[in-house]
Amino acid sequence: MRPMRIRLDPWPVDIEGGQLALTPFEGELIDIETPRWAAVAARPIPERLERVYVVDGKRRMESRVFIEDDDGAAGMGGFGAYVVGAVSLCPHGTRPAELTDVKAKRVLAHAPGLRLDPCTLSPRDPHTGRLLYNPLENTTSDPLAALHTLQQAMLADEQELSHGYASAVPIDEQDDREWLTTLSVQDGTLRGKNLYGAVVGCVKTIQTMYLPPDRASLLAELKPGERTPILHMQYNNKTVTRFIWYVRLCEAAFYQHPMSGVMRLEMYAPDEPDFLPPIVRQVANLSGNLLLRLGSHAHKDPRAPQNLIPTAALEQAMARSMGSADLVTRRIRAHIARTFDPAVLA
Amino acid sequence: MTGGLRLAEPARTIGMVLGTEDATPTIFWFAVTPGSSVQLDDLVVVQTHKPDGQPVNFYGLVDSVRKRHEGITFESDVADVVAGVLPAAVSYAARVLVTRVSPEDFIPPQPGDLVAHARGEALHMALSADKMEEAAFPAGLLADGQTLPLNFRFINGESGGHINISGISGVATKTSYALFLLHSIFRSGVMDRVAAKSGGQMAGTAGGRAIIFNVKGEDLLFLDKPNSKVIDREDKARLGKGFAQDRYSMLGLPMTPFRDVQFLAPPRESAVGGVIVPHVDQRSEGVTPFVFTLREFCLGRMLPYVFSDAGGSLNLGFVIGNIEEKLFKLAQAQKDNSSALHVEDWQAEPDQIIDEGLSFDDLGKTRIQTFSQLISYLEYKLLEENDGLGDKRWVLNQNQGTLRAFTRRLRGVQKTLTPLVRGDLTPQQAEQFRPNLIRGPYQLSVVDIHNLSGPAQMFVVGVLLRDLFEHKEKNGRQDTVFVVLDELNKYAPREGGGPIKDILLDIAERGRSLGIILIGAQQTASEVERRIVSNAAIRVVGRLDLAEAERPEYRFLPQSFRARAGILQPGTMLISQPDVPTPLLVNYPFPAWATRKDEVDDLAGRPVAEVGEDWLR
Repeated sequence: MRPMRIRLDPWPVDIEGGQLALTPFEGELIDIETPRWAAVAARPIPERLERVYVVDGKRRMESRVFIEDDDGAAGMGGFGAYVVGAVSLCPHGTRPAELTDVKAKRVLAHAPGLRLDPCTLSPRDPHTGRLLYNPLENTTSDPLAALHTLQQAMLADEQELSHGYASAVPIDEQDDREWLTTLSVQDGTLRGKNLYGAVVGCVKTIQTMYLPPDRASLLAELKPGERTPILHMQYNNKTVTRFIWYVRLCEAAFYQHPMSGVMRLEMYAPDEPDFLPPIVRQVANLSGNLLLRLGSHAHKDPRAPQNLIPTAALEQAMARSMGSADLVTRRIRAHIARTFDPAVLA
Repeated sequence: MTGGLRLAEPARTIGMVLGTEDATPTIFWFAVTPGSSVQLDDLVVVQTHKPDGQPVNFYGLVDSVRKRHEGITFESDVADVVAGVLPAAVSYAARVLVTRVSPEDFIPPQPGDLVAHARGEALHMALSADKMEEAAFPAGLLADGQTLPLNFRFINGESGGHINISGISGVATKTSYALFLLHSIFRSGVMDRVAAKSGGQMAGTAGGRAIIFNVKGEDLLFLDKPNSKVIDREDKARLGKGFAQDRYSMLGLPMTPFRDVQFLAPPRESAVGGVIVPHVDQRSEGVTPFVFTLREFCLGRMLPYVFSDAGGSLNLGFVIGNIEEKLFKLAQAQKDNSSALHVEDWQAEPDQIIDEGLSFDDLGKTRIQTFSQLISYLEYKLLEENDGLGDKRWVLNQNQGTLRAFTRRLRGVQKTLTPLVRGDLTPQQAEQFRPNLIRGPYQLSVVDIHNLSGPAQMFVVGVLLRDLFEHKEKNGRQDTVFVVLDELNKYAPREGGGPIKDILLDIAERGRSLGIILIGAQQTASEVERRIVSNAAIRVVGRLDLAEAERPEYRFLPQSFRARAGILQPGTMLISQPDVPTPLLVNYPFPAWATRKDEVDDLAGRPVAEVGEDWLR
């Protein structure tokens, strides 16, 4: 009998769920690349790939509010801000990485049925800019609706941004002229519909174990840079279809569970599981080398190496572009105070 | 009009005041706009507005510049930034020491206010040149090629006076810069402008004079000759810095050697009645020897200056004072205009008489003609007369040890003072070779004392400065006299006293009201009498030893300047003047005058071949 073995999850305990959760998967998996279940070595990054965009989004609820419109209708809502942005970098390291399109948007999410104008919070000090909140209607009226509205707006922008950058992925076997020149790397799992862009999602955690137990052991055996074969995955009654594969970014330390350092990547897949676009295979082949370059180190980032260096920088820049939460909530309070009693601030 | 000053057009804006560092009325940081370059010593201007709309301008000097990666936490991230993985901005910021706030509303600048290079009128304001008006004269070039004005009223004694220059030797910057300043004072016309403004109270350049004591080699004996290297060196500097003109033109000064210079040197040793020739080796013509007559020595009470280090001993000082008085009485009683000293009560021993050419006049008096005879006479009066008891009135109950110390010291300087103090001169000779620093057509007098021993140098400097001081006390300040004296620490050390230190203190403290301006220099200001250094309105620092730079004498330098004083190159000085609260770094041109024999331009600027052709014909 084997002795009991306990090993660490590498992530800090205050991150919900940790890196590993291993809930079983209820969907369907098909071997699309090869039926042979073995590690695939990383290939060099092709010269043609000139640009990689690392895309992420961030949101923040700033205040919950009770709103009465001019017609007397009332409901709950919230002032919120979100930001999406990207780091543009050359996978060959020929130019400095740059932050692009990092710009905060502000939303006044409100209960359905209210009629509101955009809300402008003008500063008293000319150096600190105006805050413009555009109204956005919630689809439901549950207590977290405003947060969901904000989240949906952010995800939609994020998808638009990452697809806007990326090379197109051909839809069928006849169309293979498109080269992979620009790849979007999106933080987290992919959302929404397939828009046929070369967008790869990097899922940092292994919350769901998609692989059956006989295949999962390969994850522990991968060497840094190696990946598993690509699988075609379907679930939710075939409403979600993705290509997935796993890549190892670094060796697991002896005290960590053997799947630390492994990351799941996913790309949009056509509904029919019979065609593997060549670009998806190219992305999978280069993903090992690309992520080895972008992976962080444990002493710099508690979620290393899965939280990529550009992502961490982007998160910081996005948080900054939303402004200081304290100052914004103070501005909101001051604005409301002024609406009700201008003398308060005179 | 300061309120109407407009900031330079946007293209000239070089940054914005930072909001992440404190912005105060005296010091602030600004972020440098990408594409702009800001270096230490750049002068900048910032305009801010008070709530009532009134503008306030801050003028200042960049004293620190730094770059760093912004937004990253780990120093090792620089590798990721360079590898193109981590996005980071380079933040380029500069710190400004404010030199002037106009109008004087000491509010801080607002973060985000635009910063521009100070040029033209703004530069004028930054350097307080508007306060100087006609008294401004060029003291060198700032880093960006603009002229630094100095206020002459802080030099000539009107508002302040004296210049003190510190710097390690070997870099040859102290004397060079003192000479450059003299050149600028005499040739920029500032003396005339200030004189004209005074409405005839002052004589201007025509009455201005300078006295330089040459203590090292024969370096300063060629100041009236053009320097053969100056054109070459100035061309190089012009190209190196990308200036359109040579530095003399930029400063508005002629590239010419000094005019109206006289060179004085002590005579060589010679026998009684021998010819008087100057003791110099390199320069054959144009050097005038100077001597003092023995009678002047007594009449002028020069004896204390022989004992420049006697301040420590009370008894010795007492003896010196007494003998000085006795010699004065003797000389005063003497009615003729002879250069010798006549005494009645001394018969030197016969063999000495022959050796030293002692002679007697008709009345049986002994004529003392040489310095060594004078010493013999004093030995006789103090130690030999009355069977070794000495003359009571001369000895005044001093013990033998002190008297012997006195004569021993006199014997010690006998060799070097004998050619300088002579009693064998005809009245005409005495007149001809009397050092004449004030009268005469000379603007610049170089007194060469490098061949003299230390005590003799002290004697000459002390006597000449005292004469000058006494002359100016009688005649007032209208003609400014500049005295350039290197190695102040030797003449006016912080510890101890002496007659020369007293004279220098007099000059430092009262000289400016009498029109005597001391341009003093030393390696280490910390070793010079504090009252002399602190009386200098203009302070100049060349390269310093870094330990020296931390001493309290250099507190007028901000910390960043003190650190920089260790790396200053020849030709670069830090200048502090009362009108501008921070020192400024200037460079000044290569001398247009020869400072060594091998720099003398014998060819008068013509190529060698051309001159040679004349000879070959």
